[in-house]
Order: sequence, then C-alpha cells, then structure tokens
Amino acid sequence: MLCTALTVVTLEPTVPGRDPAGPPPNDRQDVVTTLAAHGLTGPSARARTVVLLVGGDSSPPDGPVVEGVVVRTADSMVRALVLAHAALTDGTKDVALVLDRAGGPGTVRASRVTLRGVPWQDRTAPGRPPSRGPVADTGRLLLWSGRRASDETRTRAQLRSAVGPMTDDTFRALPAVVSCGPGAGPVRAAALCRGEDPTAALDAARAVVADDPRPVALLFPGQGSQHTAMAAGLYTHEPVFTEAVDTVLDLMGDEGAAVRADWLGPHEPHIAVDDVRRAQPLLFAVDYALGKMVMSWGIRPTALLGHSAGELVAATFAGVVSLQDAVMMMRARVRHALSVPAGGMLAVAASEARLRPYLIGEVAVAAVNTGLQTMLAGPAAQLFTVEKRLREDGHTVVAVPATSPFHSPAMAPAADAVERDYAGIRFRPPDLALYSGYAGELMSERDALSPRFWARQITDTVYFGPALDQLLAAEDMLLVEAGPRQTLASFARRHPAVRSGASAVVAMLPARPDGPATDRRTVLGTVARLWTEGHDLDGSALDRLWADGSEHAALRSPVAAGRS
Amino acid sequence: MSTGSTVTLADLTRMLRESAGEEEGVDLDGDVLDVSFDDLGYDSLAMLQVVGQIQREYGVRLPDETIADAETPRALLTLINTTGEISQAG
Repeated sequence: MLCTALTVVTLEPTVPGRDPAGPPPNDRQDVVTTLAAHGLTGPSARARTVVLLVGGDSSPPDGPVVEGVVVRTADSMVRALVLAHAALTDGTKDVALVLDRAGGPGTVRASRVTLRGVPWQDRTAPGRPPSRGPVADTGRLLLWSGRRASDETRTRAQLRSAVGPMTDDTFRALPAVVSCGPGAGPVRAAALCRGEDPTAALDAARAVVADDPRPVALLFPGQGSQHTAMAAGLYTHEPVFTEAVDTVLDLMGDEGAAVRADWLGPHEPHIAVDDVRRAQPLLFAVDYALGKMVMSWGIRPTALLGHSAGELVAATFAGVVSLQDAVMMMRARVRHALSVPAGGMLAVAASEARLRPYLIGEVAVAAVNTGLQTMLAGPAAQLFTVEKRLREDGHTVVAVPATSPFHSPAMAPAADAVERDYAGIRFRPPDLALYSGYAGELMSERDALSPRFWARQITDTVYFGPALDQLLAAEDMLLVEAGPRQTLASFARRHPAVRSGASAVVAMLPARPDGPATDRRTVLGTVARLWTEGHDLDGSALDRLWADGSEHAALRSPVAAGRS
Repeated sequence: MSTGSTVTLADLTRMLRESAGEEEGVDLDGDVLDVSFDDLGYDSLAMLQVVGQIQREYGVRLPDETIADAETPRALLTLINTTGEISQAG
C-alpha cells in the first residue's frame, strides 16, 4: 500500500528592501524573492506552484495571482501544510511554497513543500534499504510559541482547528516536526500528536516561559548501555546521524562493514552486540552520531561528560583528538582487551565503601555511578566468588553485559600495549568544559595530552558520580544523554540538583529496546524538550528528521562487502 | 514487620528514597504516583533493590515478570496490594 508524505525544505532568504523602519511587508516582494530562492522561475514551474502565506485568515481557494502564481493565506503552518497536501494530492500543483513571516521584519521562512509516495509499512525487505519516510510512525511533533501567554493561546487554538478535523492520510503526510512560526517567542509549548487523537496532546501541552534556557551538557554512555539494533530507527532516516555513523564505520574499513551488517540485521549477528568487538565500535558510532545530530539542530553544548568508553566521544567533541584518531584509539582498546582472559562486570546497589571489603584478587571497583550504585569488575572466576558473597549478604546485584574485566587491574597488560599504540597521537587541550570520569572532575590539560592517561582508562576506576557532581555544581544544566538506554540519565535523574529542578535531563533514545519507531519518537521528545527549554532550533535541520538519509546509506549497504 | 498491612504511597516513597540513596528533603511526594520509574531515574538495578526491600519488609512475594509491567509507583502499589502473596511467616 502506498500513501503520501510531504517533503519540506526550508530556506530563509534575504528579501531586499525589507527594512524594520520601512513600509509594511510587501507580499509581492516576498513571493518573488522566495520563488527565486527555490528556483521556481519559469512560467511553467509557476503555473504548477501555489504560494501559501502564513498569517491571516484562510482565503478562498481561488486567491489572487502574483507573478503567475496563485497565492493563498493560512492561519498557521499546519493549516498551510493541510492546504498544500490538498493541492498536491489532487494533482493541480506540483509544489507548494509556504511563506512564514511571523518572525518580524526582515525574516521570511520559505518552505518548499512537495509530495512523495511512500510505502505505508516501515519495514525492511531482505536485500533492500529501509523505506524512506516512516509514515507509519504515529507521532508528529508540533512546536509553537508566543511573545505573551495570549499569543501562545491563540496559536494553540489555530493549531487545534487545523489538526482536529485532519484525516488520517493528511496527518501521516505531515513532516515529523512542524515548527509554527520562525519568531520564537519566550512562551513555548510542544505537543507530540498522535494520528488517532491529534488534539489530545495539543490540549495537554503545558506552556512555559522559556526566556532563560539552561546550557546543554552532553552525556555519552559507555559499555553496558548497548543493545541489539540500538538507534537503528534513526539510520537512513536522518542524514546527519546516518552520515556520522557511516563516517565512523568507514574509518574501520572492512571491520566497519561487518559491524554495520551485524547492527542492522536482519540475520543473527555473527558477533553478539555485548561482545567488546561490537559494543564499543557501535556505541562510539551511535554516541558520536547523536552528538552530531543534536549540534546540527543549532545546539552548542557547554560541557561534555562520557562514561568509560563514552569519554573518548566527549574528547572528540572537545577537540582533544581527531575523529580518526579517536576511532583508532577505540579500536586499539578493543584489540588489546581481547588478549586479556575473559572477565565480567557487576552493578551493585551499594556504596563504594560498603563494597571495598568484598574485593578479592583482581576484582576492583570499576565505576562509582551514584552514591548507591557501584560497578565491580574482574576475572570471571574471582568475580563469581564476589557475586555469590554479595548475594548471600542480601545485596542487589546485576551482571553487566561485558566480556572483558574493564576498569580492573586484570586489564593492565592491555593498557601497556594500548599506551604504545597511542604514542604517535596528537592530543590537544580541550576547547570546552570536558569532565572526566577518571579525574572525577574537569579534565586537566596535562591529562588530556597524556597518552598514558588515555591508555589507563581501561584499568582505572570511573568516577562518574563525582564528575557529574562537579558538572552540576558549576552551573545549572540541561543534560542531554546522547546514547542508548538512558543509563546516565537515570543516574542524573536521582541527583539532588535534578530532583530539586535546578538542572534537568533528557535522553535521546529509549530506556529499553522498543523498535525503530520508539527510537524516533524519543528523539522527537528531545527536540520538544530543547524547544520548551528556550533553545532556538534550526528549522531546516528539523526538516531533515525522518525525511532523508537513505541516499547516503544506500551507497554503504550492509550487503556491500569490501568497503574501506 | 507489618505483615499483611497495606503499603501506602508514603511507605513506597520512603523505600524508593532509601533504595536509591536519596537525600532527605528531596522532592519525591504526591505527584510522583503516575510518573514513570524511568523518569524518576529508577533503572533496573534500583528497581530490583526497591522491590527486594518491599518483599523483605512487608513479607510479600512479587513475581519477577509482573514487576517489569509496573511502570509507575501507582502501578507498583496496586501490584503489591492486590497480587502480592502475603507470606505469613514474614
């Protein structure tokens, strides 16, 4: 079954003669400029184009003609998209150009809207790339704002009247994110509407005054957060994410192609995702790609903190190492970790101090995550003994999916080998606040430049909790977890600074595996959270959500072997 | 040991606090009933700890497979107070 989806490409062209002190906006000038900006210049193209001006009451279907183009008005962006969909599906027009001028003098946001046919089902047939455009997703995110509460209420009412009577086909045709008005006012709201009852989320949305957004800190999880097909719902559905994943995997040559094939299936993976050879490269790629994506929306993080292997991703964004070197460093760790006899890791609901007496042999405190969550690691047999004693004493223990005893002395031979591999790397001082789990605070320049500091990360304890304390003590933050499973978000949500509301947390991916549509819905939730925090988001970047990305990926199909 | 008695929201929030090492004065009251455990920051380890403590303190037994379905404090309270098998031995 085929249905339709709207493809939106937004530009913000400069309109000549628009002067705040000059005469009121001139429709004709805006229309001419934006038609040219989108390359709609010839008479035949214009005959197949309809222009929709956002702002003002809806006009009759046979609106005035400007420069050979029919011009109509709509009271909101959503209404404009409904009118565009109608004009495009009945075949009278090929292109709808939506002009949104609510941003005030000098700004026009011009969206070129076209129609494409897409499979209704979002599924992957063997040997074929996933369908473009997840039309089967039920969520569409509406963002709106106002200068005052009354503006917000009015806009919400307009959206309600547009969304309420929408048919299922029209709703599904909407882009993933509809940003209503380029002039982002301080009173903000967001609604993740569902096709079955699109007005429910609109009515429930809470408007907030967001005039003082907290800066963003990115959190990157490490081994233990991986799961089968993590973030796969974003691959080929968002070009920045897709390209970033492919860049990382391509740096790994043939091995990267094998990692991608095991990640995307549909066959059983040759190497399980919990194996260090899959967990670490994939987590690196996914964490890095999520970071790139959130930055592409216009977010500039002011602080970075990674857990364990995630610290290398954070270091990449802080400019300490190049991406190429970071991938090489990650691969060296994996390679040398394999030479260490099998071990494991445990998460225990107890403080570091309570667990110290249980440590035997090479079993060590691997990570201090919160006051009452500590990880232990060590060789398999010793760790088993410790686990048994802990359980006998009534401690709550969970085995972490890891096959290597990371952050224990058992890794020492591997750390020495890794250090030799790191000798030629050019390290630079961090160019933004990079918090380190190994230092338990801001990473010093001395540590950042030391190959030994980086090599020792596989043997040393991760003091994530103390590092998070430092980060949240420095400034109230909006923490964004750029990785799967919400492990770090959970730690942060129990932090007093977050419980009290001084800082806040949002995670880009779901807490547990729930399929590709949930991956995408969780990302939309992150967009909503950043919006209601008061951050300004790049409209053209939001157009890319679920619209595209398969062209890039198709060149790197998991079945195409031998790429390097 | 309050074997057989009903577990209240106040009891549950106290145990949630203790199990996760929450500090006193941290807001975990009233309107958390319908907030998901994910959003409250209770990961699988913290949930196991909470449920273990409830089972010990109240002498109830909760089947593992039903615990995962209790996504909010309200759902967990309902589960404890309706399906939890009261062990008379405590």
